[in-house]
Amino acid sequence: MIDGLFNNPSYLAAKKTLDAVAVRQEAIANNIANLETPGYKRVDLSPNFRAELDRAVSSGDAQQIDSLKPSLSVDTNAVAMSQDGNTVNLENEMMQLNQNTLAHTLETQMVSSLLMRLKMAITGKSS
Amino acid sequence: MIQPLSGIQNTVAALDAERTRLDVISENIANANTTHGVDGKPYQRKVVVFESAMQQAMGAGGNGSMTPQLHVARIDTDKRAPLEIYAPGNPDADARGMVATPNINIHEEMADLIAASRAFEANLAVVKNEKSMAMQTLSIGKH
Amino acid sequence: MSPLSAIPQTMYNFGSMPGTDAVRPSAMPTPGIDGTTPLGQPGEINPSQPAGDSFGSVLGKLVSDVNQKQTAANAAVDGLQSGSDVPLHQAVIAMEEANVSFQLMVEVRNKLLDSYQELMRMQI
Repeated sequence: MIDGLFNNPSYLAAKKTLDAVAVRQEAIANNIANLETPGYKRVDLSPNFRAELDRAVSSGDAQQIDSLKPSLSVDTNAVAMSQDGNTVNLENEMMQLNQNTLAHTLETQMVSSLLMRLKMAITGKSS
Repeated sequence: MIQPLSGIQNTVAALDAERTRLDVISENIANANTTHGVDGKPYQRKVVVFESAMQQAMGAGGNGSMTPQLHVARIDTDKRAPLEIYAPGNPDADARGMVATPNINIHEEMADLIAASRAFEANLAVVKNEKSMAMQTLSIGKH
Repeated sequence: MSPLSAIPQTMYNFGSMPGTDAVRPSAMPTPGIDGTTPLGQPGEINPSQPAGDSFGSVLGKLVSDVNQKQTAANAAVDGLQSGSDVPLHQAVIAMEEANVSFQLMVEVRNKLLDSYQELMRMQI
């Protein structure tokens, strides 16, 4: 019975996206930290995570959504900006940071609103 | 110990490393005209070398991602030879009247200074950002 | 009387009414509540189950699910506190889900008590 409360695919997708946002945040933090390290290649979320999540959500299968695991990988598309082989571009990283923060806000609000709606439904009180 | 802000160990290390770099640059600038140091030789320009050792750091969600751990490997001395200037009146002038001055280019140092400050501020922004995200997370389900 | 201990009592009361097949707490202690019985499979509560799920077993499953959620939340918070890499949002969400589940169980218990009292008030 309890599982039924939380098996909503969009809720599960929001939770998974939050996981991905956390992984991405770590990747961006690492990239910015290694801004001046010679030979450093920038890392990011694995590119196939997005596609896998979309597939799982469209199939509507809660189990499939839950089994996804976002992970870090070296970004093969990044080009070296300087002679020492460092592929980190600060402007790009700052923009990714802002986008990631917004995504975090969005997903947090989605998760939060579902939990509050449940509480409202259960207790009949609005806060 | 509890780590609410996850994944910013490298950021902390980077802030440290950039501070070291700023210190070294300011030392270089201050000693731009030191012709006679403690060891009797002109001041040798110092350079900070960053290194990132691959460390099996645990990524968010326990996927064991390999994230490089940044640290300052060493502070090297610049191998370039001192600049020789013709100044016979200088007490440090040798027999030919040449004085060995540190080979420090102020423009190079200023460019390095700007790069180091930029990196420092970027890392600060990451920490601030991480903190506001954590505060948001803590208010899930509260309002 | 603590809210949790009211539940087996309520289920016992329902069991004494004709047509229901609830748990007898004296015979089969409810897992997870009294603390001495380990949490077993939900099906273990009623070995003599009829084909469909009886109301008592549904309640039993509710209790064990809530317990599971609480355990998961505790584990997540422990992981967070020990520094091992449970992300903060997972621990917070686990705690909130456990809270919501617990609230649901408490409301179910309240409604059961209310309806039981309503029944008791009925003139035969």
